[in-house]
Amino acid sequence: MIRNNFMRLALSLFVAAIFASAAVHGQTTSSAKPVRQPAPHAIQILKIESTEIKLPPAFQMAIYEDALGEVKKTGIFDEIYRDGDRRVANASDCVILHTDVRGFKQGSARERQVITVAGKTSIKVHMQVLNQDGKVLLEKDIEGKVRFFGENMRATYDLAKSIARTLKDNFQKPAPAAKS
Amino acid sequence: MLTTSFPTSLPLPFLARCRASARSQPGASRRARAAYRYLCLVIPALLGLALPSQLLGQQSPKPDAPTHVTSVLGFEDLKKNEKCQLEISATAIRLKGSKSTVELAPSSVEDVLTGDDSARLLSGFLGTLTMFAPYSSGRFLSLFRKKLDTITIQYRDPEGGLHGGILAMKAGQAAMLKKRMVDVGARTTVPIEESPKPASSLPGDPNSRKNSERKS
Repeated sequence: MIRNNFMRLALSLFVAAIFASAAVHGQTTSSAKPVRQPAPHAIQILKIESTEIKLPPAFQMAIYEDALGEVKKTGIFDEIYRDGDRRVANASDCVILHTDVRGFKQGSARERQVITVAGKTSIKVHMQVLNQDGKVLLEKDIEGKVRFFGENMRATYDLAKSIARTLKDNFQKPAPAAKS
Repeated sequence: MLTTSFPTSLPLPFLARCRASARSQPGASRRARAAYRYLCLVIPALLGLALPSQLLGQQSPKPDAPTHVTSVLGFEDLKKNEKCQLEISATAIRLKGSKSTVELAPSSVEDVLTGDDSARLLSGFLGTLTMFAPYSSGRFLSLFRKKLDTITIQYRDPEGGLHGGILAMKAGQAAMLKKRMVDVGARTTVPIEESPKPASSLPGDPNSRKNSERKS
């Protein structure tokens, strides 16, 4: 009887400890997240620059197109403009996404598919979000890679998803004004 | 014409000498006879191998610009990796997909750049199925890849927005396609080479970069 009670007590303490640790972990992770700024109305995504690193043109355009698609998917910005779009001149509250390639390692899809752990392709970029006055609102180094499966071009999709995730972590769409 | 240019006349004196020595001496050395027989077999065989290749070399037509390409990405109305028909006229570059058509004005194309890539020989659904094949035979099948040429097209929409489209095609066709696009009015930052280089090996190899164009 005593032993049975002891077992129940131990089990309840164990469950309580699990809940407590989960709650503490949740608090720490939520506090680690950056403070999200209210998202501007529009964003212009500029063409990917590769001044120092010579990136193949197909990769350059694939990052640009994938970034446009992934940022659109997040739904943070009402308007998304392409590089050179003349409508930006009339847009108020617009930020500019500027991306510069800092590193590129072209792996081999064949090695990845045959050996699995070899042939990684990675692209490192430095992204900046500037407002219309040229003030830097967000700056981060991010990497897109294809490590195990997929063709080399998949690294551009991974990078575009990282760009979109970074924007989502730092900007939030302002809540619609309540109707009075 | 071909037989005169082929160097068959060179070993003939030697052949004649072998034959003469074999006939003049009834008990001639076996070595001379063997040499004569050997040359009688080898020379026609060499001729047989050399002639068709020379004839093929004369008759092989120049590769023409492709009419069927794969739209990798960047064309709004076309799905990723959709196969489409390509038509180039003086007024438009037209990509006909299964459901929709994309039309570009050649004057709106700012840059056309060629590159190379490769793809798994067994791709698509069948390629996915091979992943579950026994004894890691799927991995073995991954060794077999096909070379591809790519063309990256940078163009502007009516609002001035930049678009980038990538087309993939069989190896060796990109240079011809680029030439046709430039002929109808598309611009390029990398001038066209007169003799297109042969399709290179897989990306990742140092030699593979020779066919890719990069802006300086």
